[in-house]
Amino acid sequence: MKSPFHSIRWRVQAWHGLILLGAVIAFCFTAYRLAWNNQLQAIDHGLWVSEAKLGAALMRNIPPAPGAGAKEDDNPPFSPAHLVERLRRGAGTLPPEVASTFEGMAPGYAYFSLRDASDSIYLQSANAPEGLVLLPMPAGPYADEWHTIGHRREVLRSSSPGLRSLVGRDISPELDAMHRFGWSLGASGLAVWLLGLLGGWWIAGRAIQPIAVISRTAAHIADGHLQERISTTGADSELDQLSRVLNHTFDRLQDGMEQQKQFIADASHELRTPVTVLLSETHRILKHDRERTPEEYREVIQTCRDSAHRMRQLIEPLLLLTRQETQGATAPRRPCDFSGILRDTLEQLGPLAAEREIQLHADLQPAACLGDPAALAILATNLLANAIQHNRDGGSVFVRCERHGQSTTLTVRDDGPGIGPADLPHIFERFYRADKARASADGHAGLGLAIARTIVENHGGTITAQSTPGEGAVFTVTLPADGVRPNP
Amino acid sequence: MRLLVIEDDSALRQSLAATLREENYAVDTAADGEEGAYKARYGGYDAILLDLMLPRLDGWQVLARLRPECRTPVLMLTARDAVTDRVKGLNEGADDYLTKPFDIDELLARIRALIRRAAGRTHPVLAIGEVSVDTALRRVMRDGVEIALTAREYALLEYLAVHRSEIVTRTMLYEHLFDEDDSTLSNLLDVHVSNLRKKLGRDLIVTRRGHGYCIE
Repeated sequence: MKSPFHSIRWRVQAWHGLILLGAVIAFCFTAYRLAWNNQLQAIDHGLWVSEAKLGAALMRNIPPAPGAGAKEDDNPPFSPAHLVERLRRGAGTLPPEVASTFEGMAPGYAYFSLRDASDSIYLQSANAPEGLVLLPMPAGPYADEWHTIGHRREVLRSSSPGLRSLVGRDISPELDAMHRFGWSLGASGLAVWLLGLLGGWWIAGRAIQPIAVISRTAAHIADGHLQERISTTGADSELDQLSRVLNHTFDRLQDGMEQQKQFIADASHELRTPVTVLLSETHRILKHDRERTPEEYREVIQTCRDSAHRMRQLIEPLLLLTRQETQGATAPRRPCDFSGILRDTLEQLGPLAAEREIQLHADLQPAACLGDPAALAILATNLLANAIQHNRDGGSVFVRCERHGQSTTLTVRDDGPGIGPADLPHIFERFYRADKARASADGHAGLGLAIARTIVENHGGTITAQSTPGEGAVFTVTLPADGVRPNP
Repeated sequence: MRLLVIEDDSALRQSLAATLREENYAVDTAADGEEGAYKARYGGYDAILLDLMLPRLDGWQVLARLRPECRTPVLMLTARDAVTDRVKGLNEGADDYLTKPFDIDELLARIRALIRRAAGRTHPVLAIGEVSVDTALRRVMRDGVEIALTAREYALLEYLAVHRSEIVTRTMLYEHLFDEDDSTLSNLLDVHVSNLRKKLGRDLIVTRRGHGYCIE
């Protein structure tokens, strides 16, 4: 916005001004031409009338040729041959009322000249300007021409009997009038143009005003007022569409920030209790100058160690989840056999299951797929450990892995107490625990299934859970063969 | 003074109980909301430390069961630090609020202040004639000289001083000075009273036959 030419309003205004200027100039030019043509027609008509009067007067006043007939005709028909004949016979004179129209040099004066083929003058008005050039003798019987020389308009004719005529007049009054007309036209054109510029500035301002509002609101939102939105009018204008797109973006941003905030709050919440235990125990053991037995110290240190252990059990899955969320989707994909990963996991978890006399049943068919083997191993561990931990003692866990066309399906079923219908929609949420009370003392942060879901989604797959309370739960994972999260 | 700690995390519960016992409080504990609410109603405590996230009944529900009949001061301990949580806790009948992780000294100071306020005293030093009891420093002075008392003797004197001009029955003393696990014999109370009289003067604690003791 620093240079005015970077502003949309200024650029719109510049183009608008240019186009308007072109239109105004074209209009003024056309109007001037039309007015001039009109004026010229009137002048030409006047010239024609003067010429006709002159011709008529000459035909009447020049004495008839001898032998041509004694009868004096008041209005003999005009004929060049006849006129030439008469002019040759003697210098004709004009009646005063006609001669007076071809006199003087007052603005608008008229003049004439009649000459023969060799440019010798038959008759010419006294006020005829020097250096008149008449039409040459025509190739045919007759030729004429209208032209403007300087501030004179002339009509020139020549005819084969040897008569060449020129009737002209001074058009400086008309030229002056056109001049004045031109100036006033220019002035009005300028006024229209300036008015147009003002109107354009106003309209451009109005058109971009919503943009200013949008940018102000967006800046305000960017400053941290995430709950604000750009107001939309409900009309389907282009700016309204832009506002809606921006609002949608802000919604998603706010959701993301809220999730992040919630996650941080949850994580710190989970860490608070063990930290409190650490502080309380160390404070107690160090506070009094009373004698402590080695046994007491041992107990306190044991408690502190347990607390630290709990924090580690929280921090590790937290880091794992964060890593999966930030880098999991872009980790390199390698061909691997999902059934092999599951077999290794079952082997690792065997002792945990044996501790509680839980039977592990596996039906693993080779399932080659592309994926991040480390992440898939975490997925398998989390699902199987979940099935073992939430089972009853002496229960069973069924693991099944098979390939269906292009996708791999993993099913983990247990016959434990199952998941309540109220908890089922939430079990993949971070820190969600079905039993509400803190279970972190037994080492579960409530992140295992959230991590599992993130890994599955990073591989472009789906994970679902079904459960009938009292009859156990079934987790189904479907992974596509290419193992890549599709771009939204 | 007798306290009830309602906290489901066993490590924290044991640690708090141990800390408070070393400060000469009689401490009972409860691991879930239901047990906590039951004990709080019938145990006659001087203050209750209540965690918010509890199994079976959460902190809000425990508060709802206690108020308004039970007037024991409640200090809420919670990992939730949002202002709305704190406001809700205080509005629903909690007397004070501490966010985990808290400083133990602050916790102790708040407990002392709660008990003092509940008994209608605002200053930590209670003066009874020439004897003064500093409840913050747990120190007893007589004529400007510090008198050494055992923890039990101090607790007995503090309870009587806080409830000055009231007749304190032997049952009340048992309830407030000894926790559930204590199996002290009843004549020990007389021994403590006799020791206090020796150290602080014969007339300080008056025996009301058939009723109990009183500091006038």
